[in-house]
Amino acid sequence: MTLGARGIEKRFSSQVVLRGASIELHPGEILLLRGPNGSGKTTFARILATTLAADAGTVTLDGEPVRRRLGAARRAIGFVSHRPLLYLGLTPLENLEFFGRLAGVTDARLRAERLLERFGLTPFARTAMERFSRGMLQRVALIRALLPAPKVLILDEPYAGLDDEGSSTLNALLEEARGGGTASLVISHDRDRIAPLTPREYLLKHGVIEPSP
Amino acid sequence: MSSTIPGWWSKGRAILWTVAVLLVAGSLYAAFARAPVEAQMGVVQKIVYIHVPSATVTLLAFGLTFAASIAFLATRAWMWDAVAASSCEVGMVFATIVLVSGPLWARSAWNTWWTWEPRLTTFLILWLLYGGYHVVRASIAGGAKRTVSAVLGVVLFVNLPIVWKSVEWWRGSLHPRAVTMTGEMRTVLTLSMLAWVVFFAAAFQERLRLEAMRKAAESGGAPEAPR
Amino acid sequence: MTALRVLAKDLRLHARDARFIATLSLFSLSLVLILSVAFGPFFRDPAREASATLWAALFFAGVLGLTRALDLESESGGGEALRLTGADPFAIYAGKTIANFLLMAVLFVLLLPCTSIFFDVGNLAVLPTVAGVAALALIGYAAWGTLFAALARGLKARELLLSILLFPTLIPLWIGAVKLTRSLWADGTIEPVRDWVKIMVVIDVLGLALAAWLYEVIQEAEE
Repeated sequence: MTLGARGIEKRFSSQVVLRGASIELHPGEILLLRGPNGSGKTTFARILATTLAADAGTVTLDGEPVRRRLGAARRAIGFVSHRPLLYLGLTPLENLEFFGRLAGVTDARLRAERLLERFGLTPFARTAMERFSRGMLQRVALIRALLPAPKVLILDEPYAGLDDEGSSTLNALLEEARGGGTASLVISHDRDRIAPLTPREYLLKHGVIEPSP
Repeated sequence: MSSTIPGWWSKGRAILWTVAVLLVAGSLYAAFARAPVEAQMGVVQKIVYIHVPSATVTLLAFGLTFAASIAFLATRAWMWDAVAASSCEVGMVFATIVLVSGPLWARSAWNTWWTWEPRLTTFLILWLLYGGYHVVRASIAGGAKRTVSAVLGVVLFVNLPIVWKSVEWWRGSLHPRAVTMTGEMRTVLTLSMLAWVVFFAAAFQERLRLEAMRKAAESGGAPEAPR
Repeated sequence: MTALRVLAKDLRLHARDARFIATLSLFSLSLVLILSVAFGPFFRDPAREASATLWAALFFAGVLGLTRALDLESESGGGEALRLTGADPFAIYAGKTIANFLLMAVLFVLLLPCTSIFFDVGNLAVLPTVAGVAALALIGYAAWGTLFAALARGLKARELLLSILLFPTLIPLWIGAVKLTRSLWADGTIEPVRDWVKIMVVIDVLGLALAAWLYEVIQEAEE
């Protein structure tokens, strides 16, 4: 699926953050979006993931505005944000099964167990997540996004809190997703970590997006 | 929808205010100088010429908020949100007038500040609810404010008939119709109604104008409001 | 199905939130105690005073419960993730409402015997009917409470606002509950006040209908 954003504008109170940002994610692509702190990358990611509404402009999935069929669009998009987007009172397995089932995945438990294993979290699969470290939460969050095998991935600083092993597992999964036709947008300061994936680079500056030199 | 203020608005504004002030002055004069003094309650009864119209205007105002809220949810045009909020704010002033004039009247007429009369009680509830509306509105910044306000505007109004009915049942016997209006009294009351409705319209458009200017400033341009 | 999953998830979260549930229980008991002391030690009209106490305490404890449920959704973004699964908003609402209802029911089961004992009212014969009245009241409370809680979710003074908005809206429900409970405890029957049942049903249905219409809109209002 192709995720497109055209002319996205967003302001908070009187501060304009995005002034017509546009981008297109094609199947099998990995895009890296960089930009100075406070440039609006997270805002843009949230708008693409449909969790935030833009003031102007449209987000489309295969040409159709996402607002028209929000449920279906959301099921096709996997999103990782700064916040864990998980219930800390539940265990990783409970979280993943819950979100997986709601997203329509029938073998949610099996997939969850497999992904937990790949990220080395099997010993913690049945522990409540309140005491988890940042890195552990991040890994579970990534699994939550990847579990339904979404057609589009929007990852905001996915490498934050990950050690080298976690990073290479993530890269392996992103590579697999790419092979499966998923379009991925990664926001990261960590150019080195994502380098093995040779993504196409873009820059968000002054509220618009341009290809990075 | 353009956020510049149209010329006819600015011109009509002065006329509206003039008419409003004249009508209010006229109705007050009529109330105190011309309307007959009611036999049982004396001069104090004249408070009815402020109390009843205020109540009517309040319901009108909140009804407008309700309608505008629905319109906003349907169209997402900022103007409907502005109408809803402005109407509610002015309505609150009138609701306060009702809640102040009511007990004053009750005290003088029946020697008690509060009688749990269904209408007054419902107005108190209304006052609390729409006060809550404003607090909520003031507490939210950003995009959610309009949507949340609109939902509240709908939800709060829909419940009113039931609350009114419940308080009536709860209270038991209906409070006797305090005023029987005949001839001259009725004329003065009608005049007062008209006066206060026009006054509401004037205050409302003033408030709405403020919202429009705020919106224009937000959009970056200076509002082209001819003086 | 979605509703049941959301319900199960909420119940699980609450069950693990033992410390809060314990504190809430103690708080509600304190409310009952305070009001008993205010009315006592010799109760002029025990059925009425007990009924008032029970329902006043339940109202405030309920607001705290609702706010807590809200916090569990927003503290680490679980609620946002739920929204992003694309699940049907009304199903989510239904699951949450049932969970809130059950939470209130637990509080009721706790406070009923205490109130009964302190005021020396009630008996087993009227218990099923009292439970029925409670169900009617608490369904409405959960329906409207979940709706308003979702509206107030981003706000700082959530509990205060929730009380301000919820109480006036629920007045018909609460008057009904107090009157019906009192009638059952004083006379063993709801006959003289049975009309209130109708009003309570209307409020319950109205709340659910409004939620069906507006919950999706509320959910999408940005945080």
